[in-house]
Amino acid sequence: MKSVSLGEFEELVLLIVAAQHDQSYGVSILEGLEEQLERKVSISAVHVALKRMDEKGFVKSRFGGITKDRGGRRKKFYVITALGKSMLDQQYALRTRIYQQIPKISFT
Amino acid sequence: MKPNPPKYALNFLRWFCREDYLEELEGDLIEVLEMQWETSPKKARRNFGFQVIRHFHPEFIKPITAENKLINSAMYLNHFKIAWRHIFSKKLYSFINITGLGVGMACCLLILLYVKYELSYDQYHEDLDKIYRVTHAYKSLEEKGKPTAPEAFQVWGCAPVGPAMLKDFPEVKSFFRFTSPNNMLFEYEDKRFQEDNLVFADSNAFEMFSWKLLAGNPETVLDEPNTVVLTEKIAHKYFGSEDPIGKVIKVDLGEDAVFKVTGVMENVPANSHFAFEGLVSMSTFRRFRSEIFDWWGYVDFYTYFTLNENANIASVENKIPEFVEKYTGNWENSGYDIAFEPMSDAYLHSVAGRQPGETGSLQNLYIFSSIAIFILLIACINFINLSTSRSLERAKEVGIRKVVGAHRQILMGQFLSEFILLSFFAAVLALLLVVLFSPILQDLTGKPISYQNLLEWETFPSLFAGVVIIGILAGGYPAILLVNFQPAKVLKGAFKSTGGGVALRKGLVIFQFSLSIALMVGTAVVFSQLQYLRNHDLGFDQEQMVIVDFGWDGKVQEQIESIKNTILDHPNVFSIAASRAVPGNFLPNAGTNIEGPDGEMVSFGPTIYEIDQDFISNYKIEMAAGRAFSRDFPNDTSQSLILNESAAKMWGYNNPEDMIGKRFEQWGKSGIVIGVVKNFNYQSLHKKVEPLSLRYEPYSMRKFSIRIKSDNIPATISDLEKTWGELVPHRPFLYSFLDETFDKQYKADMRFGQLFSVFSGIAILIACLGLFGLTAYTTSQRTKEIGVRKVLGASVSSIVTLLSAGFIKLFFVALLISIPLSWYVMNRWLEGFAYRVGVGYELFIISGAIALLIALFTISWQSLKAAFANPVNSLRSE
Repeated sequence: MKSVSLGEFEELVLLIVAAQHDQSYGVSILEGLEEQLERKVSISAVHVALKRMDEKGFVKSRFGGITKDRGGRRKKFYVITALGKSMLDQQYALRTRIYQQIPKISFT
Repeated sequence: MKPNPPKYALNFLRWFCREDYLEELEGDLIEVLEMQWETSPKKARRNFGFQVIRHFHPEFIKPITAENKLINSAMYLNHFKIAWRHIFSKKLYSFINITGLGVGMACCLLILLYVKYELSYDQYHEDLDKIYRVTHAYKSLEEKGKPTAPEAFQVWGCAPVGPAMLKDFPEVKSFFRFTSPNNMLFEYEDKRFQEDNLVFADSNAFEMFSWKLLAGNPETVLDEPNTVVLTEKIAHKYFGSEDPIGKVIKVDLGEDAVFKVTGVMENVPANSHFAFEGLVSMSTFRRFRSEIFDWWGYVDFYTYFTLNENANIASVENKIPEFVEKYTGNWENSGYDIAFEPMSDAYLHSVAGRQPGETGSLQNLYIFSSIAIFILLIACINFINLSTSRSLERAKEVGIRKVVGAHRQILMGQFLSEFILLSFFAAVLALLLVVLFSPILQDLTGKPISYQNLLEWETFPSLFAGVVIIGILAGGYPAILLVNFQPAKVLKGAFKSTGGGVALRKGLVIFQFSLSIALMVGTAVVFSQLQYLRNHDLGFDQEQMVIVDFGWDGKVQEQIESIKNTILDHPNVFSIAASRAVPGNFLPNAGTNIEGPDGEMVSFGPTIYEIDQDFISNYKIEMAAGRAFSRDFPNDTSQSLILNESAAKMWGYNNPEDMIGKRFEQWGKSGIVIGVVKNFNYQSLHKKVEPLSLRYEPYSMRKFSIRIKSDNIPATISDLEKTWGELVPHRPFLYSFLDETFDKQYKADMRFGQLFSVFSGIAILIACLGLFGLTAYTTSQRTKEIGVRKVLGASVSSIVTLLSAGFIKLFFVALLISIPLSWYVMNRWLEGFAYRVGVGYELFIISGAIALLIALFTISWQSLKAAFANPVNSLRSE
C-alpha cells in the first residue's frame, strides 16, 4: 500500500487544486503558486506533485477539449477527491490544534 | 514568429516520457513557452529545454517492462543465443574460423609489438625533437665543392666542428661529443677486465640526454680529467654492493693511470641508438692528445647539438657551405662537408655510415607490417569463403525471420553481431597466443619485447575497435548475401544453389594462393641468399682461425716477434700473424697519393689495413702481382705498400702488374708499391670489396690471428691460454673464432630470415586451413553425387580428380600472378647485398611445387575420404 502522507509542496499544490475547483491544470496551478508564494516555481515540480497525488488518490483528472492553443494539446484538469479534501482538513485541524497550544506571550 | 519549442528537446521528451503523460506535459510546457515567448524567445526556448531535462524524472520515464523497452534486449538476446548455438553446432567450421582469425590477429599483435618497439628508439629523451647530430663527408679532390650524396656522409667525424658551430651559429645552444668505444684494461683490487665499450664524452651529457644518473652530480661528474661515469652493469661488475662513488680504478693508459668513479648511471636503455657502457671525461682524452681537438681531418668523434628556442634548423643549414669553406677551404687534396640529421631519425631513417650503435631497417618494418596485414587478410578470406559457401544452411532461418517481419537492418545486425562474436572469440585466443609466444618473438628479434608493452590504456579500445572492424570486414559480405535471400524462393523448398559469390570466392582463393606462393618464394630467396653468404668464397681462409685481442698493449707490441714464435711452437698451431684489425672489424681510411699511369701523383682515400709480414700468408690471401711483406726486406716497415685489385683499378691500372714499383705517399710514409693482392672480402658481403691499402706497421698491432689444427680445439685453446698467461701475465686471454665473429655481421639478416619464414609459414598454414574448410564443405555437399558415381563404377582417382581439379586450376592462376610480384619484391630486397644470389626460375619451380604439394595434401585429405567412403552410407538415407 502506498503511503498516504502529504508533502509540504504537495499540500500547497493540493490547496491550489481545491481552490481553483475544476479549472485547475498544470499551468494554472503554476501561476497560482507563483502568485501566492511570490517566487518562481518549476513546472516539473508541479507535475511530479500532481502525479504522486493522483497515485495516492488525492486528486483525479480528466482531459479537456482540443483547442488551438498549446499547439493543439489537450489540457488535463485536476479536481480534488473526497480523500484529498479530508487530508487537507486533517492537516488544517492538526496545524490549528498545535497553533492554539502556543502560549499567549510576546516573542522577542 | 510563432512560438516553436526546440526540436531536440521535444524529441528527447517523446523518447523517454510515458505515453499517457506525454500530451499533458507537452501541452503545459508549450503553454509556459508561449507565455515567456513575449519577453524573450531565446530565453523561452532555453527554459523549455531546461524544463524537459527537469522532467527526466522516474515519475515520467517509461517503465522498463517488456513492451515498453527503451532498448529491445529480448531480440538481441535471441540473436546472441542463435549465434552461440550456431557456433557450437558447427564445431569444425567455427574452429577453422576462430583459429584462423585468432592466429592472424596474434601475428598482427606480435608484429605490432615489434614495430612499436622499433619506433620507440630514443623516444625516452625529453628533448629529442631539439637534438640534432652532425654528419661528415670526407671527399676526394674531384668531388670537392660539389653537392654531397646523402649516403656519402658518416656520423663519425672530427672534434673541432662542435665548438666552431657554437661560435659561428647563434642558433646553436650547445654541443656534445663522444668518441668511438675505446679498449681499456680496468683493474680494481683482484678484478681485471678489458672494457670494450667505454667512450670519452663531453661533460654536458646529462644535460642534453635523459639518462638517469643514479649517483653523482649531473653537472660536474665529467668535468675533471680521469673521471668516469659507469653504467650500473659495469659498476656492479667491479664493486658489487659497495658504493662505487670515489673508488679508483687502475687503467692501462700509461704508467699509474687511474680513473676516479664520479657517477653511476642507469644502463643505456635497450631501445637506444647509443650503446656505450660508461663515459670517461673528455678532458682525459684532451690530456693525451690535445692537438687533435683542432684537427679537422682527425676522425674519432660523434657530435650532437641542440638549438635555441625558436631557432630553425634550415637557417643553420643554409650557412653550411660558408662554414665548410671557412675552416677547410684550404685543404689541398681533399674536401669536407657536413650535414645535420635530427636525432629522432638516427635509428630508422639515417643513411649515414659509421653509426655509433646499431640501426634498424625501415624496409624490414614495412615488410613485416605487410606480412601482418596479409595474414589477417588470408584469415578474413577464409571466413568470407566459408560463410558464403555455407550460406545455404541459413537460408531457411532467414526466410522464416523475414516472414515473421524482420527488417533487413535487423537481420543484418543479427548476422554481423554473430560474426563480431566470432571475432571476439578469436581476439581472446589471439591475446592468449601473444602472451604465450612473446618470449619466442624476443628470441627471434633479439629485442626485449614483452607483451606487457600492450598493457596501456589505448590498447583496449583500439583492440575492441579492431575486433569489430575485422568482424565487419570478414562478415560484411556474407551478411549481405544472407539478408538478400527472398523468403518466397527459400521457403518453397526448391532453392538449391546460392549461385551468389562463386566468382568472388574463386577470386579470393586465387588471391590467397598468390600471397602464399609469394611468401613461399620470399622465404626461399631469403634462405638461399643467407646460404650464399655463408658459402661465398671470401678470398681468404676463415676456418680454424683463433683471434686473440691484446688491445694495442705496448708491452706485447715490443716483444711481438718472440710471442709469435713461442705460440708457433705449439704443435697444433699452423701459423700466426698480427694485425690492427681482422676481417669484419672496422677499418679507417687514409688520404693516399700514388703515381698514376701517366706519372702524375693521384690522391684517393682507400681503406687502410695495418698488418705484419705473416698476415697475407696466414690468411691464405693470394697475390695478383708483386710480393707480400717479407722479413727479407727490412725496409718494408717504412717504404712499402700493398694494394688490392680494386685499389689498383681506382688508380687506373687494369693490369695489377703495372702498378708494382710506383711511388706512393701515405700517412707520413713514402716509397713504392710492392704488391697487389687479389680482392678479399674484409667487410660483410653487403658491401663490395672497396679499395684497400695494406701497410706493415709493427706498432699498430692489436690482434693475433692464430690458425690451428681442426682436431681437439678445446685442448689447443687451453694450452694457448696457459702460454699466454706466462708470456703476458698482465693481460687477460681474450679469444674468439674468426668465422663466428665474421658471421655475426649477418645476425640481422639471419633474424630477418627467421622472422620472415615463421610468419610466412603461419600465413600459409592459415591459407591451408581455409582451403581445408572449403573442400570439406564442398565435398560434404557432393556426398550423394560421389556415391552415385561410385555405384556406377567411378574409380577413386577419377573422383579425387573431380574434386580437386577446380582448386588446381585456381592454383595455377595464382602461380602466374605471384611470380612477377615476388620476383620484383625479392629483387628489391636483394639490392641490399653487394653479393647476391640470382632469383632464378628454379626457385619459382621449387616453391610452386612445394605450395602445390601442400595444397594437394590439404585437399586430398577430404577428397580421398569421400572417394573411399562406402556409397551405401551416403545413399541409403534417401
